[in-house]
Formats: sequence, structure tokens, C-alpha cells
Amino acid sequence: MDIQERRKERLDRGIKVRTEGIYAVSSWQEVTYLVLPRLILIVGLLLLPLLIPSLYWKRVVSIAGIYGLLALGFDFLAHFVGLVSLGGAFFIGVGGYTAAILDKSLGLSPAFTIPMAAVGGAFVCTLLLFPALPLRGVYFAIVTLMYPLALMRIIEALNIFGGTDGILGVSSFPNRWIEQYCIIFTVIFALFGLRRLVNEDIGLVFRGVKDNDQAVRASGLSITFYKAIAVFIASGLGCLGGAYLSHIYMWSGISQFALDFSVIPIAATVIGGGGTLVGPVLGCFFLVPISEWLREFGTLRIVFYSVILMAFIMFRSEGIMVYAQRKYHQFERWVKV
Amino acid sequence: MEKPKRRVGVFSLVLLLVGLPFLGHQANAASKPIVIGAPLATAFLYGWDAERAMKLAAEEINAKGGVTVGKEKRPLKIEAIDTRDLEPGVPVSDALLVVEKLILEKNADFIVGGPVRSEAALAAMDLLSKYKKVSILTTGALTPKYHQRIAEEYDKFKYCFRVSGEVGWMVTGEFLPALMHIKAKYGLNKLFIMVQDVAHARGGGDAVAKLASEKGWEIVGKEIYPTGTTDYSVGLLKAKRENAQVILIWMDMPESSILLKQWYDMKIPALPFGTIIAAAEQPGFWKATEGKGEYCMASVVNAGNAPSQATPWTMKFVDAYKKKYGLEPEGYGTSSSYMAVYVLKDAVERAGSLNSDAIVAALEKTDLMGVYGRIRFNPKNHQVIPSTDPKEGAVGTIFQWQAGKRVVVFPSTIAVGEIKLPPWMKK
Amino acid sequence: MDILIYGIINSFSLALMAIGFTLVYGISRLPNFAHGALYVVTGFLVWSLINLLKLNYLVSILLALVIMGLVGAAIYRFVLIRVRGMATSEIIATYALGLAILEFLRWGGFKGMTYTLPVFIEGSVTIGGIPVDLQRIIVIGIGIIVISFMWLFTHFSKTGLAFRGMAQDEHAAMMLGIDSDRMAVIAMAMGSILAGLSAIALLPLGNIVVEAGYNVLILSIAVCIVGGLGSWVGAIIASFMIGFLQIITVAYIESHFQMVVALLAIIVTLILKPSGLFGRQKELEERV
Repeated sequence: MDIQERRKERLDRGIKVRTEGIYAVSSWQEVTYLVLPRLILIVGLLLLPLLIPSLYWKRVVSIAGIYGLLALGFDFLAHFVGLVSLGGAFFIGVGGYTAAILDKSLGLSPAFTIPMAAVGGAFVCTLLLFPALPLRGVYFAIVTLMYPLALMRIIEALNIFGGTDGILGVSSFPNRWIEQYCIIFTVIFALFGLRRLVNEDIGLVFRGVKDNDQAVRASGLSITFYKAIAVFIASGLGCLGGAYLSHIYMWSGISQFALDFSVIPIAATVIGGGGTLVGPVLGCFFLVPISEWLREFGTLRIVFYSVILMAFIMFRSEGIMVYAQRKYHQFERWVKV
Repeated sequence: MEKPKRRVGVFSLVLLLVGLPFLGHQANAASKPIVIGAPLATAFLYGWDAERAMKLAAEEINAKGGVTVGKEKRPLKIEAIDTRDLEPGVPVSDALLVVEKLILEKNADFIVGGPVRSEAALAAMDLLSKYKKVSILTTGALTPKYHQRIAEEYDKFKYCFRVSGEVGWMVTGEFLPALMHIKAKYGLNKLFIMVQDVAHARGGGDAVAKLASEKGWEIVGKEIYPTGTTDYSVGLLKAKRENAQVILIWMDMPESSILLKQWYDMKIPALPFGTIIAAAEQPGFWKATEGKGEYCMASVVNAGNAPSQATPWTMKFVDAYKKKYGLEPEGYGTSSSYMAVYVLKDAVERAGSLNSDAIVAALEKTDLMGVYGRIRFNPKNHQVIPSTDPKEGAVGTIFQWQAGKRVVVFPSTIAVGEIKLPPWMKK
Repeated sequence: MDILIYGIINSFSLALMAIGFTLVYGISRLPNFAHGALYVVTGFLVWSLINLLKLNYLVSILLALVIMGLVGAAIYRFVLIRVRGMATSEIIATYALGLAILEFLRWGGFKGMTYTLPVFIEGSVTIGGIPVDLQRIIVIGIGIIVISFMWLFTHFSKTGLAFRGMAQDEHAAMMLGIDSDRMAVIAMAMGSILAGLSAIALLPLGNIVVEAGYNVLILSIAVCIVGGLGSWVGAIIASFMIGFLQIITVAYIESHFQMVVALLAIIVTLILKPSGLFGRQKELEERV
């Protein structure tokens, strides 16, 4: 009967408390405590292509990077602005097509088309999603889910942009190291940029939009305006991924609107840990290689994949990162009640 | 706390990959198999039949000692990976990744088979030229854009070949003559067109419409159905109202069998002529429609995909396939994939090496009497040269379902039966 | 005339597909994205019972429906109960489940185009000069029976009334002694049975393919959104609207806009009136 009288207590580690204010950092130990996780992440990502000998697995890393950008966007929208967007495919498709069209019609190099597609595509996405911005929860989710499907059917039915054949012969990167590091730097930059952003003033407004929109409105701020900005940022990341995808495979087609681009980032967020920004990225760098590795099992791999996802959402819905962060910052002990 | 998680991830990744580069070093070792990579949508007819046919061909060749490269004999090995490229909801980049996996990780010497979906096959061309891998497309994509691209940028895309069919020829060389045959025999001249909403079907439908109307057919209507349509009644009624006599169908989706069932139930007085109709190709179609697919005509693109006497090799192939897999070759992609392996063997032996440029040169000189006629490639666009005579080039096959059997009715050089009209059409 | 007849048939097909989805959402606010998978599973289940176990067609149907009911209940009891109330998690969990089921079937060899169910009664009749096969008339019959049964059930049986109570106000219903989880289990079981029933009615028209699962899901969502999530009357009216709209598109515009129509209907409805034509959601809950 002893057990019933105990409970688990969770306390912040001393070092966490000490390092919270920057002025209090006084020892190497504390600096390390703060810097190490970030450093490992950055250095790890940068070294990843060098550590992997196989060209094929390097490509997998690039693909994981694209999904990472989508997952970042999803996590940002869902956990900081309160918009559940299933439109990963929408962003990828718009970005991919924009880049391909710019490349084919103006003959610009990837150095120009990718940023232009990111900004231009984000603009298009935001404009198209604008009427849906006031919607909440599952309604916004379904609109974003339907957009790529509808666009796919429209391109197919009107036979524009190459129809079902797609746009071919898009130029590729001049060098595969540029290709590889382009996405890795983008992911790192986007990750830390967003982390900074959500802690700025505007980040507070975003969270306000999520948690208490009436309060935001009462402060004289337009909710729709802030939502539009958030969608612009997230879709910009997605479009960038799409443009990058177009260039590495030298192709753009209607299957860029495929549902996988919406589903995998969400799966990665669930597994990695929503609301941490870094979790979803790491989730992608786990999930995508695992899914590639499972390819040997044919269609069964999707079954494994789905079952893993279900298991996570049922039993560990906080995700790996939230769990890991808790263990890093806090300790647990049994106390007598 | 990212540390341990990351480290475990990186470590297992590295472990996984350490073994891979060694494979490359052994590529030159004695009697190391020649690896043929096959990116195929194995969950679909055009994928799995190709995989089966290629494995059959490789087995036959290996049983005879393999392929002679220079002085040594090397066996063939087929590495098939599922691309899922015909599935909705899966991006083509997934199929492209498979092609890269075959090239980079499985060290495939050649790519044969797919990708199956034309969007993927076209996109894969750029990838193949980047890695300078010789590839023979044998199934799926029929788009003329494939060999047009090769002709336009020969130096870039010269590594791509296609041994199966191509829509341009199929329309002018097979479908139209078949239509004219029907016209001459039964005096029918009103055509109704039903196609699926994909580029090849739309283009094909338009081409047939244009050419047929020049040759005295009256086009009484056209319907384009989105992929996945399950109700064709309105279109069929339109056809009936317009007194259509032949319904030209061009669809590669499974739901097209619904079309035929409805056609049968509504007793539409028009002959269904499936140019591309994936559902009706398979031997199981008869049972699946409970016989309602009778009188449906279908093209299986290359001879040998349904039993006929095109060349002496045709029935040998059909019997071998039947013996190994327990059923007749199932449809488009079977005989062409089988032949591609033999064509490649022939080219490798003549080139005496696995060097891509040497193989391209050898393939361009291919002249082989195969399962579906004489196999030669057009040196300008690397498309197999078609013909209606098996002695001259690759022949197609159009069959009609008659009393539970696929009876080849066209081209007449290889036909084993005659086109029949459904009883409710006889006035 | 043909537009009228086939419009009605198409509408009833849509209504049959969607009613299970609406039922589950209406009662327990669970968007069951595995709906399409359940539809396909039923088809293969009946096929296996007939062809592998050599059972009678009718027996197979009944058995399959019972199994589907159990499966539905199990899905709620073991999976959904854990994520209840978190909309995103519910969608992901059910979608993953559906994907797992579909891909497992494909892995198990259920691929290709040769799986079919026999029609109930062979033959066709002519209505106003338009030939219609009997199976399609049976679809209408089953549609009418299901709809009227649902109406009677929700208005006169104790469980049905409890369902409506749950749908209107879950907390009030719980205070009055209605067990929310028990109701949700029953709703999921019924939803699965309805998915199965629509599969059994509609599949003999064509063949059973895994890919159909996705289309069924999209069409069900379309109907439910346009009609208003959770509103049965709305869903039925919406299926008529979309059903006729599709047939009219085919007849007068071009058939390849058929699917665009359904998708645009979803988007336009959501943007203009997210609660759908007959939704009972409060404005505030869906808009800011």
C-alpha cells in the first residue's frame, strides 16, 4: 500500500534555472548546457552529407530536408498560430510549378527561381487561402486538404502547364554539393529563424491568435492580418521546398500535389513532438530514411509506417522532442504524499 | 537532450550505409551478375506483369549460361522495386527516388521497365541522362513525347530506348486500320469516343477522331471521364441517342469495367472498341464481369500479350509464361519487358562491354526476330520500329472477347479469328 | 429524363456512401477518415467469404456486416478512445488506420481488376425509354430503406434518441446518464456497418479495387461538408445536390469536370458557410 502514498514529482534542474537569464551564465558548464544541444543539431546536420558515403542516401537527406521545411511550417501554423493546415502538398505544388515555369519561360538559374518561387508561391498560396483564414480547426484543415486535390484536377481538366505530362527539363543545380547544402542551410536557417520569430513580439500576437483571439481583437489588431502573415511564412517554406524539389528532379507535375506531402510532415510532427519546431524537423530526418529503408518490404512498408504513426499518436502523443526536452531540463523523483 | 537521439540516429544510419560502397568495388569481379534495375508499380497490372516477364527472361538466359560479356559469362539479376507511381496520393518524386536507388545503391547496370506513369517516365529521362544509364522503357508510358524528346535532344537523352508501343503509331497504324476493317466488314460509320482524363487518352482520342473523320467516319460524340468515375450511364445514353455504332474507349483505370458492364446491361447497340482499356486486358476480365465483357475489343499494344502466331517465338513465350505463372500473359507490358531483356543481352554481347555509349551504339543496330516481330530501333528517336507485318517490325495486337477467350482479330497478318457484333446490334 | 433517373441513382449512391461518415461525426464528433478503407474492406470480405469459404451470397453479406460492426466498435474501443477530442489526432489516427488497412489489403494480394461481387438480380428495365439495370434500382431501394430506418431509429428508439442527445449537447447528455463512450462505440459500429452496406450495394456495379477507398472518402467528405458536418438531413440533401450537379456537368459541360465540381463544392461551402447548408454548429465555433 506504500505505492498509493507516493507520487512522482517533476522539478527543473538547477542548471536550467541558473541559465535562464543570460546574465547569470557564469561557468563553462552552464554555457555548455545551453549551447551543446543546438551545436550538436547544427553540426550534425552539416556533417550528415559528409558522413554518408552513398549518393543515394544523400539524396534521401535532401528529400528529408524538404519534408523538414513542410513540417516546420505545419508545426508553426498548428502550434503557434492555431491553424491546422493539411496543405503541404498545396505549398509544394505551387512552389514547384512556379519554379518550373520561371525556369522554362525566363531561363533563370535555380539561384533566382528558388527564392522567387518561395516568395511568389507564398503570395499565391496566401491569396488563395485568404478567404479561408477566418475558419477554425477542422474546417480550415479540410479546405487546405482539398486545395491541392482541386488544383490537380483543374490542371488535369484544363490541360494547362503541361497537363498530366508535367513540365520537363527544368534545369538542375550546377554542383551536387551546392544542391545538398542549399537545403540543409535552408532548414537550419528556417528552424532558428522561426524559433526567434515566435519569441519576438509578433510571436506573442501569434500565440494570442491561437489561444485567445478575442483578446487580440480587443487590442485593436486584425486577426486575419496576422494569420495571413503566418500562412505567408509557412507557405513560403513549403514553396521553397517545392521549388527545390523541381530543380533536383528537373521536373514539375501534378503529382507534386500528392497527399504524401501533406501527410508525412504531420506524421513527423507527431513523432518528433509538436510545438517544439525542432521536433518535426528531426522527425522528418528519422521518418524519411526509415521509410526508405523499409522500401524492401514493398507495399507493406506503408502499413508499418501507419502503424508506427498510430502507436505514437495513441501512446506517445507528446512526441520525442517534448519528452527529450523534459528529461534534459527536469528530473523526476518519487515523493511521499 | 537532442544528443543521444541524434547520435543513435546518425550511428544507425552510418552502420546501415557502411556496407554499401563495397558493393561497388566488386562490380568488376568475375561472373558478378549484370544487374537490371526495374522501377515498376508492382501493385498494378502494368507493373507486376512486367516484373514477372523480366524474371522469366532472366531465368531462361541464366539457364543457358548467362550473357557473354567480352570473354566471360555473366548471369543476369533482376532488381525490381515498387515505385507506387500509379497510386493516387504518391508524388512522382518517389518513383524517381527509386530510379536513383537502383542506380546508386543496387548498382544497376541497366534500367528496364518503368517508371510506369508517363509523368514519371518523362521525368526519369533527365535523371537517366544525368547518370548516363541505358534504359529501355517497356511498359506504361505510351506518350509520343518520350521519343520526341530523344529526337530533339539526342545527345542528352540517347540513353533512353522504348521497346513497347507509342501512341502515334498505334492510332495511325493499328486503331484506324482496325476501324476501317470494321467499316468495310459491317458497314458501320458512326463513332462515339469515351476517354479518360489523362493526357495520353485525351490526345489519343482526339487523334483517332480527327483521322477517322477524314476516312469517312462520323464522330457523333466525345466524353472525357475523370479518373475514378463509376457511372457512365449518361454518356452511354448519349451514344445510344446519337445512334453510335462503335464506342471507342481509351482508359487505363480499373473502373472502365463498370463502363462495359453498364454497356451490356443497357444493351447499347454499339461495338465497344477498347484501344487502351486496362481492365479488359487481363484473362480474369471474363470472370470479373461475369461474361458481360463479351464482344469488347481491346489492344494489348504488343503481340504476345495474348496468344497468337505472330512469330515462332510468340507461342513459346506464351507457354513458358503459362507454365511458370499459371496463366496467360496478362496484358500490356508482358511481352515487351520479356523482349527487352533479350534485346539487352544481344546488345551487350555485341558491344562486348557494359559501357553505356557502346551499348547505345549496339542497341541502335539491334535487329532481332522477337516475340512480337522484328525488333529494330529507330536510330534517331530510339523508338522500336512498328509494322503490321511481324517480318518487318514490331506488331501490335487487338483482340476481342469471344465466349470467354481473348481472340486476336487484328492485324490480319496474325489474326486467329474474326470481329463479331453483339446479337442486339443485328437488325 | 435520363438526367433525372441517373441523377437520382447517383445521388442515392452518394448518400449511401456518406451516411456512415455523417453518423459518426454527428454523434461523437469523430471524423472517421478510415471510412473509405472500411468500404473497400467490406467488398473484399464478402468476396472472400463467397469465393474462399464458398458461402451463400446472402449469408456472406450478413456475416460481413456483422464483422464490420465489430471492427468499427473495436476501432473506437482500442484506437479512437485514446485520442478523443483532439481533432488533428483523430484525423491522423483514422487516416493512418485507413492507409494501413488499404495497403495491407494490397500487400495481401488484393490488387488488379478482377475482384467483383455478383449483382443481386440480373437484368435491366426500361423507365421512360431509358434502360436502367436492376442493381441500380436496388441501390435506390436500399438508399430509401436506410434513410427511413435512420429516421425512425433516431426519432423513436431509445438509443437513437440518446444519439441525438449526444449530437446536440454532449455534456448535458452525460448529465442525464448517457454514456458518451458507449454511444460512440455504437455509432462507430453503425457507421462501419453503413459503410459496408453501401459497399455491398454499390460494388456489384463495378469491381473492387483498393484505390476506390480514397474516392469514397473524398466524396463522403464532400457530401458531409456541403450538407453540414453532422447533419443527416443536410447530408441527404447535399448528396442530391452534388449527385445532380455531377450528372448535369456530364450532360451539359464536360465529364472531366465531374470531380472538380465535388472538390469546389467543398471549398466554396467551407469558405462561405462552414457549417454547411444545414449544420447546427454555432457561428462562433468555426469562425473568428
